[in-house]
Amino acid sequence: MPGPPAAPVTQASLFRAFLTIGLLGFGGVMPWARRVLVDERQWLTDREFAELLGICQVLPGPNVVNLSVILGARWQGPLGALLALTGILFVPVIAVLLLATFYASVAHAPQARNAIAGASAAAAGLILGTAIRLVRGARPPPRGLALGVAVFVAVGVLQAPLLWVLAVAVPLGIALEWRAAR
Amino acid sequence: MSASSEVLLEIAWRFASLSLLAVGGINALLPEIHRVVVDVEGWMTSAEFADLFALAQLAPGPNAMVISLLGWKVAGIAGAFVATLAACGPSSLLCYYAVRGMARMPSERMKAVLQRALAPVAIGLIFASGYTLARAADHSAGALLLTVLGAAAVAFTRVNPVWVLAAAAAAGIAGVA
Repeated sequence: MPGPPAAPVTQASLFRAFLTIGLLGFGGVMPWARRVLVDERQWLTDREFAELLGICQVLPGPNVVNLSVILGARWQGPLGALLALTGILFVPVIAVLLLATFYASVAHAPQARNAIAGASAAAAGLILGTAIRLVRGARPPPRGLALGVAVFVAVGVLQAPLLWVLAVAVPLGIALEWRAAR
Repeated sequence: MSASSEVLLEIAWRFASLSLLAVGGINALLPEIHRVVVDVEGWMTSAEFADLFALAQLAPGPNAMVISLLGWKVAGIAGAFVATLAACGPSSLLCYYAVRGMARMPSERMKAVLQRALAPVAIGLIFASGYTLARAADHSAGALLLTVLGAAAVAFTRVNPVWVLAAAAAAGIAGVA
């Protein structure tokens, strides 16, 4: 666990920081989380942020929600975790419901249907692009690539239940990496 | 969209158990969420699922907001709040205690092995999510082209995803999708 931040993190500033992250996070929160926590508030270094993201990926649950729980707890205990969590979820829940209500009222219009059809096609692309970026950044060895492809085929193409895929893939991955690390 | 307490309980149990599987985040879990809400529960069609996902992307906030929208679709405002709490509550508690426990983990090497083993699994799951959504959304060559362009924009440029989505929505109005 890295040391305490340069400036003391109060409960109010913790809540405000995560409120800002939730408010700004169009098309994915992670870039905004890095910007607010590392660049603006300087509560974390880039390296600490990347290590935390790794932990958030390993643990189940929405990544950025986990990030808010970990950082809130680190700086202000259980109440801090609750404050950060509320900050990052509150505005987005209201916003997304307003948007959905608005969409429901115009959904019969062909323009609205066409617009959302275009956006949902591109949204699928955003996910695929993020995955491509992760492969290029993580540069997994052949054994990792093979495991990743197998997971993709099982879950994406064959539509196998996730629990069974994880029950096989996670122990297999650990065994492969454990052997390689010896 | 009437919200009986039975439906709300079903939403709570489904999303709480889904979120405890969400290794790699909500995006990695989309195929499983799709399987449960479309195929198992029959709460919506595949196309409605893709629409709600796109709406969630157009709004600010975490990708997990798609859960709130799915709950809203099934049981209105109450459904949205139940789904959000169910998806974030149990996993947050687990995270809180896991990180406290991780500080006492035996060796740095074990931590490194765990992180390297899980990364390819998470990436494979994210590809599966994109593939599932593309299959639900792409019913024309134009839509497929928008998917490819969206992927390229994120993979190879630093353009803000909001502009990509806005441009794709405009292309949709123009009749591309």
